[in-house]
Amino acid sequence: MMQRRDFFKKLGVVAAVSAVAPVMSFAGDKPKSANAMSYATAVNAITGGKTPKKSAKVKLKVPEIAENGAVVPVTVNIDSPMTSSDYVKAIHILASKNFNARCIDVNLTPANGKAMFSTRIKLGGTQEVSALVELSNGDFLIATQSVKVTIGGCG
Amino acid sequence: MAQARKSLIKIKPKKFKDGEVVKVSFMVMHPMATGTTKNKKTKQLIPAKFINNIKFNYNGKEITNMTVWEALSTNPVFTTYMKINGKGKLTVTYTDNTGEVNEKSKKIKPKG
Repeated sequence: MMQRRDFFKKLGVVAAVSAVAPVMSFAGDKPKSANAMSYATAVNAITGGKTPKKSAKVKLKVPEIAENGAVVPVTVNIDSPMTSSDYVKAIHILASKNFNARCIDVNLTPANGKAMFSTRIKLGGTQEVSALVELSNGDFLIATQSVKVTIGGCG
Repeated sequence: MAQARKSLIKIKPKKFKDGEVVKVSFMVMHPMATGTTKNKKTKQLIPAKFINNIKFNYNGKEITNMTVWEALSTNPVFTTYMKINGKGKLTVTYTDNTGEVNEKSKKIKPKG
């Protein structure tokens, strides 16, 4: 039969292990992605030094709270006529705290007819998702929204 | 290194007229491994395997070109719009970081 003191000893061991284990798993060398890129460098690489303007034309649809970081639906809608003289050249989806901030770069043409793109991305934790849009006249527009992630999806 | 992958091109609405702007979704069964996660049983790294380029070709003309990074979900979906411009074929070509190239095509028949 288990004695009271034995029970407390075992309880102590379990508590110690569970307290140390998560710290240890974080302390180990986490493998970094081959093309790791921070948010600031990613924005610079896309815009070439220009500062993107915040605009209400870009409509970014992301859930405010994502239960599962491995599947976060993202939809970007842009108010644009998509004619050969005035169209959306590219849509870039960026996640501020992922290993590689760049998620996807979509190059559109007037043949698309409508400037919209939708996909599902992985988020490593609570962070900001932004849609950086390049117009045919060289301007950059941006829309940002923060997403709260309960379970990270990048391992 | 072509490997058969399940993929699907969906066009909404199903019946469309010439000149109409339709929604095109492309889905593919792909692991999209980032190269930073470990196999929980063997404790070994899962090597990176993700799609890095996708091209939408309509009648030989490139309409959308995407550069993809690791952060897309497993079995990704890509949705955009497309303007119907006569009878033809929509071909989606996708390339992997390991050099795997695959393609999927769908006939386009506008009515009316």
